[in-house]
Amino acid sequence: MSTLLGQVRALLDRAIAEIPDERLVQARRRVDEPLRVAIAGKVKAGKSTLLNALVGEELAPTDAGECTRIVTWYADGRTYAVTAHLNDGSAEPRPFTRRDGAIQISLGRPAEEVEHLEVRVPSSRLRQHTLIDTPGIASLSTDVSLRTMAFLEAEGDRAAQTDAVIYLLRHMHGSDVRFLESFHGDGLSNGTPVNAVGVLSRADEIGGCRLDAMESAARVAARYATDERLRRLCPVVVPVAGLLGAAGATLREEEYRILAAVAAEPMDRIVELLLTADRFAASGPQRAHVLSRLGLFGVRLAVRLIRERVVKDSAELAKQLTEHSGIDRLREVFTAQFVGRSEVLKARSALAVLDECILAGSPGAGSPGSGSAPAGSSGSGAPLAGEAERIRASAHEFVELRLLHQLRSGRLPGTDEQLTEMDALLGGSGGAAYHRLGLPPDAAAGRIAAEAREALARWQNIAEHPFSPRELKNAARAVARSCEGLLVQNQQG
Amino acid sequence: MLAELADARALAGAAQRADLVQRIDLAVERMRADDATVAVVGEFKQGKSTLVNALLRTDICPVDSDIVTAVPTVLRFGRPPAAFLQVPQDDGALASVPVGFEELPRHIAEGDKNGVRAVEVRLDRRLLGAGLSIIDTPGVGGLDSAQGNLTLGALSLAGAALFVTDSAQELTAPEVEFLRRALERCPRAFCVLTKTDLYGEWRRIVEINQGHFERAGLDVPIVAVSSFLRMRAQALDDTALNAESGFPRLVELLRRDVLGAAAENKVAAARAEVKFVVGQLRERIDAEQAVAAEPAKAPEVARRYAEKTRRSAGLAGGSWQTVLGDGIQDLSADVEHDLRERLRIMVRRGEDLLAESDPRETWRDFQAWAQREAAAAAVDNLMLLVTRTEQLAHDVAERFGIEYDSLDVDLPAPDLALRKVDELDVSFQKSGMQQFLGAFTAARVTYGGFYMLGAVGAFFSVAFAAPLGLLAGVTLGRRMMKSERERQVQQRRLQAKQELRRYVDDVGFHVGRDCREATRRTQRFLRDEFSARAQAAERSAAATAAAVQEIAGLPPEERRRKADALAEQRRRLDRLAA
Repeated sequence: MSTLLGQVRALLDRAIAEIPDERLVQARRRVDEPLRVAIAGKVKAGKSTLLNALVGEELAPTDAGECTRIVTWYADGRTYAVTAHLNDGSAEPRPFTRRDGAIQISLGRPAEEVEHLEVRVPSSRLRQHTLIDTPGIASLSTDVSLRTMAFLEAEGDRAAQTDAVIYLLRHMHGSDVRFLESFHGDGLSNGTPVNAVGVLSRADEIGGCRLDAMESAARVAARYATDERLRRLCPVVVPVAGLLGAAGATLREEEYRILAAVAAEPMDRIVELLLTADRFAASGPQRAHVLSRLGLFGVRLAVRLIRERVVKDSAELAKQLTEHSGIDRLREVFTAQFVGRSEVLKARSALAVLDECILAGSPGAGSPGSGSAPAGSSGSGAPLAGEAERIRASAHEFVELRLLHQLRSGRLPGTDEQLTEMDALLGGSGGAAYHRLGLPPDAAAGRIAAEAREALARWQNIAEHPFSPRELKNAARAVARSCEGLLVQNQQG
Repeated sequence: MLAELADARALAGAAQRADLVQRIDLAVERMRADDATVAVVGEFKQGKSTLVNALLRTDICPVDSDIVTAVPTVLRFGRPPAAFLQVPQDDGALASVPVGFEELPRHIAEGDKNGVRAVEVRLDRRLLGAGLSIIDTPGVGGLDSAQGNLTLGALSLAGAALFVTDSAQELTAPEVEFLRRALERCPRAFCVLTKTDLYGEWRRIVEINQGHFERAGLDVPIVAVSSFLRMRAQALDDTALNAESGFPRLVELLRRDVLGAAAENKVAAARAEVKFVVGQLRERIDAEQAVAAEPAKAPEVARRYAEKTRRSAGLAGGSWQTVLGDGIQDLSADVEHDLRERLRIMVRRGEDLLAESDPRETWRDFQAWAQREAAAAAVDNLMLLVTRTEQLAHDVAERFGIEYDSLDVDLPAPDLALRKVDELDVSFQKSGMQQFLGAFTAARVTYGGFYMLGAVGAFFSVAFAAPLGLLAGVTLGRRMMKSERERQVQQRRLQAKQELRRYVDDVGFHVGRDCREATRRTQRFLRDEFSARAQAAERSAAATAAAVQEIAGLPPEERRRKADALAEQRRRLDRLAA
């Protein structure tokens, strides 16, 4: 039996032969491209900063004011290159310069005419997924917000262009929840909680940039994760200090020297300097630059680390900053939630495009011109749709996704323990065997097999128990199948 | 102004007018008691409570990186410091329950859960002593949230609003929209940019925000502050640091623009009162003077005032009473109808929403929706009540003014001097009515002194029937299961609709009762106010008639002395009226 993506590829190839539609060709190409992950959130939530931190390079320009105004894709490429995709469907290469690493693109035309920009960056971090930076929601430049909404939402005749979303929250705002809700319309094709990860962004600023900011942020994020409404929309919330992450990835030797010089001053002078951002910035242009790179929390943290001799050189400081930023944890979640599931997410996007094309090519909505063409397309459209349906129904990955969605929207009966275990076994916290079984990453194969067998027995029991509700029985059967999958995988690997 | 009030009181006392003395006493009391209220509003986590703490150099408002303020906290002057919870009684009225300071943070953070509507704290601070009271409000959480609507509702009574946003980023669209709607209800607003100590770029944020205000056509001054620096300055007793915190400018704005404006209003109200009293007293002195100069005219003048007394007696039950009675009836009918209509539309839209979904999945979102809608309905309804009350007060005052002026119409004018005085008086009384209206705050009468609308009721948790289990599967079979499941969804919708109707009934009952209460307050207030004025007019006329007779009966020598005394009193009155 071929893999899920293999089946989808074959189906799309067939569809392209039958329905001449440019969208299908694009969808076919997209199957073999990296997963598309959009970074979305309210204006000034720190989207570009997070993107830089994730890639580990200063790429997206950042600023105190609103900065990102065009949807920009950052994809792996052989060399740095920028392409502007225009509204009329054409594309043209654009010249760019780099200021402090950030890519400054000269558009040469009004921003309204550009549909999106594509930036090619040679980076291993972008090999498995393309990151998409979006303009902020709830911006006072309404056209900017509308552009993002239009881009992310799967609207009527158009499937979403992204496979997954990282949504940045600063603090719970009404418009945040509305946005997530609109992104996750009902049903599988539009979006489910399984393709969104929440990030509590600018976490270093929570509670006034004190040194315990990240602990406070973790508390806030934990509370969000227990909020029923929010959990239904994005099940995981990770606190991340994007600025710290970006600085950790790109810290320069000179910046370390500036910070070390501050740390070497007498204590009362340090306290005085770090009292406010103004004071630190006023003490020298170089320091002002460091402040803009690390933020007040970052500077305070770095100075303390250097002073207490926790770090002795710039490499160690960079490592500590990255550790404090929470970016590693986000990467873990990212890998578990998206990368490990990229096949099914991509397959789902592709099938959504196919649905759309079949719908457009079916009689009634089709071209009324020639007599034979509608008959032909309806004759071939039905088996295509049937095949798409068959893939959806039979591929266990889809079953898992659907169950996870039901589970997380509170539609499955069962005790809390059962539901938590089901979430994990279905791959809710990651697709790898140790994720599913809640074991440490280095668990031995024997232990995995034992645990999987135990889980299998448990869920078979639930599936056959006469007092289990019907929905739970169905779910339990699927979970048991996931356990069997784990066992097979374990034997093969 | 207090000296003038005391002067007017002395004159009224000398004229043996206990009723006017009482009016002055009440005016003095109002002048001392009324504070200018400043509402601190804004989104979550912008540093509202910290701002209030720093402003008043206290730590009363709980500040935490995660927990948020759940109920409004009113801070006003009081010695010794004390704290109270506003808890609704069975009859719906709020009662003040004293509470220890150590208990406060818990109540402010949990609030609603324990039925606490608001917390009141009395503190001994100079700024509060100057007549300022400050309300720290819960974050609005989006413009269209239930809390956002409640905050907007409470703003109608505030003298000024401090809109708080932090320097981490420029204003967002919902924030500007909220500010725009806040300005409709409370024209005096300031934007406070907090946390300037944390962000080196705060000056640029100020600029950007100013640009946003200009584009939105809002005239809102921006004050940038650092609560952290203010607290530190206090701990170190460091004036320079305090100046750096930006708070002196905020305090200055509050003193000048908020307290200053409130003081002007108070002075205007007191002046209107003094003018009314002076007008009442002057009538008599004018007549006395005229008779003292020309005793022969005494019988004619006395007749004139006897007639005026007779007419004045009718004023208490005059046609302004009819205007008031009819107006109140119309007002309560309209307001009630408006509320019913709003709630009816809400029920219909709610039922449409329920018909589209399975309540078991959407119930929580639906509750949030319903509470938001109910809050909006209640607040808009209240706004209507306030506008209509204002209109009614205007109508009644106008009618009363006309009747009051007509007391003198076609009465024989004793002589030229007197007629001149009468003309003066007429114009004088008219402006008196204007001044009454100027000092009248419909919102204050309507709200009955409470600033806060509580959360609008709560939903009961609905126990939806559990999904079909084993037994159903055994007895029903496959096809039956499907239809049974559909039946269950229908059942749930029915349940949800019933709960929605119950909730709306509940809201309608409470809001309706508050409205009726407010209408009664309005009626009583206007009736008492104008009845008192009518009585004062009657007494003035009667006293004048008596005084004129008395003067005419005096021997010439004494009359001359009396004339001198009258001239002196007249001068004092004129000084007061100026």
